[in-house]
Amino acid sequence: MCKRDIHGRGMSSLMRRVVFCATFLVTGSAFAQTSVEYDYNRDIRSVLSGKCFQCHGPDAAARAADLRLDDRNEAIDYGAIVPSEPDQSELIFRVTTDDPDLRMPPKGDPLSAEQIATLKAWIRDGAPYQAHWSYQPPQRPAQPTVQAQSWPAGELDYFVLDRIEQAGFKPAPKAKPAVLLRRLYLDLIGLPPSVEDVRAFKADPSPENYEAQIDRLLRSKHFGEKWAAGWLDLARYADSNGYQHDDLRTMWPYRDWVIEALNDDMPFDQFTIEQLAGDLLPNPTRSQLIATGFNRNVPTNFAGGSKVDEVRANVLHDRVATTGAVWLGLTLECAQCHDHKFDEISQKEYYQFYAYFNKAIPEFAQRGEGMFRKHFIGREVMVYASEADRQKGAELTREIELEEERIAVLAELAGAAGEKPGPEVTLLDFEEPNPFKQHKATRAVTTSLVEENPSGEGKYAVRVEAEAVTETKGFFGTGYSIPVTNLENSSELTFWIKTDISSRFNLQVHNGRREASVYEFSTIDLVPEQWTKITAPLADFVKPKWSPRAVDWKRIQKIQITAHGSSPYDGKYIALDNFVGVASSERAKRIARIAQLRVELAALQTPSMAMMDDESPLQTHIMLRGDYTSPGDPVQVGVLGSMHPLDPKLPGNRLGLAKWLVDDANPLTPRVVVNRIWSEVFGRGIVSTPEDFGMQGEAPSHPRLLDWLAVQFVEQGWSTKRLLKVIVLSSTYQQSSSASDEKIERDPRNELYARGPRFRLSAELIRDNLLAVSGLLSDKIGGPLVYPVQPEGVWKEIPGADVNRYPTSEGEDRYRRGVYTVWRRGNPYPSMVNFDAPERTVCTTKRDRSNSPLQALTLLNDPVYVEVATELAKKIEHWTGSDREKITRAFRTVLSRKPNERELEILMTLLKERSSWFVIAQTLLNLDETITKS
Amino acid sequence: MNNLNAGRDRLNRRGLLRQGTLGIGALALSQLLSRDLQARDAEPAVAELHHPPRAKHVIFLHMVGGPSQMDTFDPKPALDQWHGQALPRDLTEGQKFAFVTPEARVIKSPYKFEPRGQSGVVMSELFPHLATVADELTVIRSMKTNEINHASGELFLHSGHGRMGRPTFGAWTSYGLGTENENLPAYVVLKDGLPVAGAPIWGSGFLPSNHQGVEFRGGKTPIHFLNNPEGTSFEERRSVVDAINELNGQAYQHYRDPEIETRISQYELAFRMQSSVPDLVDLNSEPEYILRQYGLSNAQDASSGSSFARNCLLARRLVEEGVRFVQVFAKGWDHHADIYTALPRSVRKVDRACAALIQDLKQRDLLDDTLVIWGGEFGRTPMVQEHNAGTGELTAPGRDHHKECFSIWMAGGGVKRGLTYGTTDEFGFGVVENPVHVHDFHATCLHLLGIDHELLTHRHQGRDYRLTDVHGHVVHDIIS
Repeated sequence: MCKRDIHGRGMSSLMRRVVFCATFLVTGSAFAQTSVEYDYNRDIRSVLSGKCFQCHGPDAAARAADLRLDDRNEAIDYGAIVPSEPDQSELIFRVTTDDPDLRMPPKGDPLSAEQIATLKAWIRDGAPYQAHWSYQPPQRPAQPTVQAQSWPAGELDYFVLDRIEQAGFKPAPKAKPAVLLRRLYLDLIGLPPSVEDVRAFKADPSPENYEAQIDRLLRSKHFGEKWAAGWLDLARYADSNGYQHDDLRTMWPYRDWVIEALNDDMPFDQFTIEQLAGDLLPNPTRSQLIATGFNRNVPTNFAGGSKVDEVRANVLHDRVATTGAVWLGLTLECAQCHDHKFDEISQKEYYQFYAYFNKAIPEFAQRGEGMFRKHFIGREVMVYASEADRQKGAELTREIELEEERIAVLAELAGAAGEKPGPEVTLLDFEEPNPFKQHKATRAVTTSLVEENPSGEGKYAVRVEAEAVTETKGFFGTGYSIPVTNLENSSELTFWIKTDISSRFNLQVHNGRREASVYEFSTIDLVPEQWTKITAPLADFVKPKWSPRAVDWKRIQKIQITAHGSSPYDGKYIALDNFVGVASSERAKRIARIAQLRVELAALQTPSMAMMDDESPLQTHIMLRGDYTSPGDPVQVGVLGSMHPLDPKLPGNRLGLAKWLVDDANPLTPRVVVNRIWSEVFGRGIVSTPEDFGMQGEAPSHPRLLDWLAVQFVEQGWSTKRLLKVIVLSSTYQQSSSASDEKIERDPRNELYARGPRFRLSAELIRDNLLAVSGLLSDKIGGPLVYPVQPEGVWKEIPGADVNRYPTSEGEDRYRRGVYTVWRRGNPYPSMVNFDAPERTVCTTKRDRSNSPLQALTLLNDPVYVEVATELAKKIEHWTGSDREKITRAFRTVLSRKPNERELEILMTLLKERSSWFVIAQTLLNLDETITKS
Repeated sequence: MNNLNAGRDRLNRRGLLRQGTLGIGALALSQLLSRDLQARDAEPAVAELHHPPRAKHVIFLHMVGGPSQMDTFDPKPALDQWHGQALPRDLTEGQKFAFVTPEARVIKSPYKFEPRGQSGVVMSELFPHLATVADELTVIRSMKTNEINHASGELFLHSGHGRMGRPTFGAWTSYGLGTENENLPAYVVLKDGLPVAGAPIWGSGFLPSNHQGVEFRGGKTPIHFLNNPEGTSFEERRSVVDAINELNGQAYQHYRDPEIETRISQYELAFRMQSSVPDLVDLNSEPEYILRQYGLSNAQDASSGSSFARNCLLARRLVEEGVRFVQVFAKGWDHHADIYTALPRSVRKVDRACAALIQDLKQRDLLDDTLVIWGGEFGRTPMVQEHNAGTGELTAPGRDHHKECFSIWMAGGGVKRGLTYGTTDEFGFGVVENPVHVHDFHATCLHLLGIDHELLTHRHQGRDYRLTDVHGHVVHDIIS
């Protein structure tokens, strides 16, 4: 193949690229030697980017010697490159000189001889630059000519076979039906076929029946469960906040949304729009609001000293970075503090992107300045955990309406006579000798008994004085411990107050240390410095966000009054008297009943977080050095200038951004998405850096295949299922994954796809498969988190957390699929950690597949898997037939295929030795093949 | 390098290392590619270090919560005069505090400080045992960090970044140096309580997950799932593992996938760990005088406060076995309230064991090879905190979080003996001389391990990340 004239000006960019790639393919393993053949993006830009752009690239602030090498004209003007004259080019001199003061790069490894030779050849050729491959729109490539004409089953096979043949290999033979069917099940629904499924397929392994299996599995409701996991890694979906306390949050409705959307094969463009901007669609549905949970999934640091603005900035930075990684395959976060060093992303553009997210309403709050834990505010969508709950909710609502009608009737009967008040319980009258033991306050205050009585009863009231707060926001409060008192039968709490503070107040009632309920009132409408009686109906007390549970009215132990506000107080004192619990009249009982019903109704529903924009959003500024406390120039929303333009008709909010991302002209998104899907099936992306399609990312191993898939995906309506069908129908996919030593040695990572995929299952799928083959797996879809058995005490240690007890699930919920297991970021489920489940603290684009002794220990000893083996053993024991037949059937249950003679012999010997079906079951469940897709 | 070639080189790691142009990054890369344990065994990582290492192991004693520098290693007599007054405004201007206000009053330290040992390293009277090994220590008074919250402070101290998702110091060490003992994890975590950031502070971030810290827990199951289920005998387990490996061997014949070979060796290793790890954590084999040196009455001592002593002794045993990095967490150093009751209690829990650890390592000639580090994620304010930030209630005096300066000490592993480094202002509020930022601390520790912190990198999302991000200077002054 000719190499020099490929730079001929007559050729189209696309043609040139095709030839470039072909050149590489032929010489792939040989180009390290004397011949100087290169692909610009692969061999020239990667060197310049890796060794030079850090100081001589797009980042103006970091640029050294005023030289930039990423721009051809500037490099030539500077004299760094003299086209056609490598020996005149400063660039070549600098990378070859022996003078340590002059030699480039100044740090790290020097360029290798072959890199220098390639650079020279390129300059000799006139130093032609090319746009980075991923920024050029994908085009449907021409189908290559192949020798093994009968092999391809579909178009994509031509691209794969072409490379296999170029490398001098042949594709592997087709996998045996049992192996292929198991592979297909694992890929599409993440569960193994039953022995009967396999038997039926072996009887008719025709292409027609194979396609029918594909269609059936694509329609399975388990499809979404399998494919959700990868997306949830990207969406950094988890069930806790992370950081200090690592408190739990409710986001599972979002997880269910993903499963459902995948099951419905929601087109990826719509899938994008609903998650990024569902709330901005006209009349958004509940489902579309829940979808926006994507951006509420970010971990949040609610620790005491963190500032609300800081929490928000960190969350928004994460939203920008995640959007970049998930849709663009670009590392936008590199431009947070300075212009991107490798890709054309300026710091200004970064903050234009940030501005889209900075339109959100406030989402975090704290009780007061200097106070401890923060909490979420912002939009919430109330959801029922199940259909049964939804029905129960409807019943409760009807009952509440009924009670309200009865109260109306009572009011008519009572007429002008009014109601008789019930008996009273005096909680605090300040007449006791030591009426305010354990009095505590946040500011230096003095507390005294005063000879005043507002109600004509008793002699004393209590008065608390504080110095006025002038500089900081703050609050001023006073608390009183009381003997444990039962207010269950009370309907209201009354007390007298006299104060010169105009503020909002809290009346808090506590049990012991943490549980509290709060009644809010205001003194703004009171006459200052006059005694006023406040009546607080128990039904109007609410659980504040910072309390783990509402107060238990049966054991009230403390009463606290706190003035709180956002401005300094000018007031000085609070006087209080006669806290009295008033017992119920008929009417009050009904009111209390309604309150109780409302609590029950609320308990059936869970708030799930969603997005909402502010009507008058904050102005976004560039953050100098990425620091939220150092605002620079203001910026408006905007996208990346180096990419396709933003349609000016699009709204200047997240909806506009989402539509820009899925614009047909976007060269990146379809490639990034098909690469991820391919990677899920084959274990490795065509681009092996799925998070980075930029200059520093790996070039695609099969550029034409990637483009073909990308074009196909968009043309087929962004349909994940259609794309998957094309992939699993291919001959490439259907190959056997066994290989010769030579193939393993020359292509250890199967980059040529000259054999079928073979790699270990993910943490969730290992769990799912073992549960499935033992018959324990529950097939319930969706719903609240489940808590399968985990080692004792793991959550007990979490300092200061709301939830320290791991509420191990009972019944069916112990055996649900891994995707439903609670995901606590700081304290993840141990057995899944051992199989590389990520913490989901950040957007994760690919998981490791380690191979460790801890995995062996988990499968052998985790009580969950011991139970699975016990269950399988029980099944085997109940089967009829000889030991040999039972072993064969067990083998087929676990691995889908029949054992060969040797395998059978090993298991028979083991059985003879230990006479235990448990041992046989455990052995089968621990095989490499059991936890591997072959 | 072309990927196909990279793959081939994985089978010939020696060849890859010999290419000369590849530094530690390539060494780490080769580990990433290599799932073959034998290949890793065969090649000591030391051959590729950037310079001769001073330390081969690290024991990092993290006092979770942040010890008060003014009450431990950084005496501030001026606080006696300032007691009850606010700090000068220009000092507190623009500073971040967690709970106190900039106007909060200064509170003095009630403790006496004295020079100790030949070297005269100064520490407060709270450390009678540590005082006996004062000549082994380098005390750094001028540490600085960026974070004022526990979770982010802990993350910063361990990963050089205040948010979750980055590899930790131990993970980088494991990644860069590998392990000396294939039968044990390279990075082990021991704790007497959970640090607030949870598992991410011993995570591997974007490094391969086999570099994350493995938690050795107290009690009968030092590692999750280590013990056989009830009713399973040693012999039965042996038969099961043999059968699994034999069947996996059959699969290997068919697929020729090296992963299967690795799986076979991992089952063997797991089987061995089932007996070697309980032996390792069983302190019964320690002579009584050693136990007593650490403050343990006997090998089963489970008295309150004994976990840290056990963990120190266990750390020594792990290092002896070739574990690269032992991370020990000691809880209870967050003294917002009642510091003068709580701090002596916290120190009592660790003082004797810290001294014992140093002496014990020394008597075994391990101290020269082992870098021992003691410190918290930040320091504490010279100002008083007098209310509970959760409930708003008044409390006995304490100190708030402080990032502008704090004290740590190091011993062994090539640091100077009997040195006090860095100076803070008269209040113990800020550094005035020889600041050591957490990034510098990391750079220095890696340097002691034979690694240039700028060259230990991992490509992630298009960027070559390192523990020190784009910062860090080696503090040569503390290296002997």
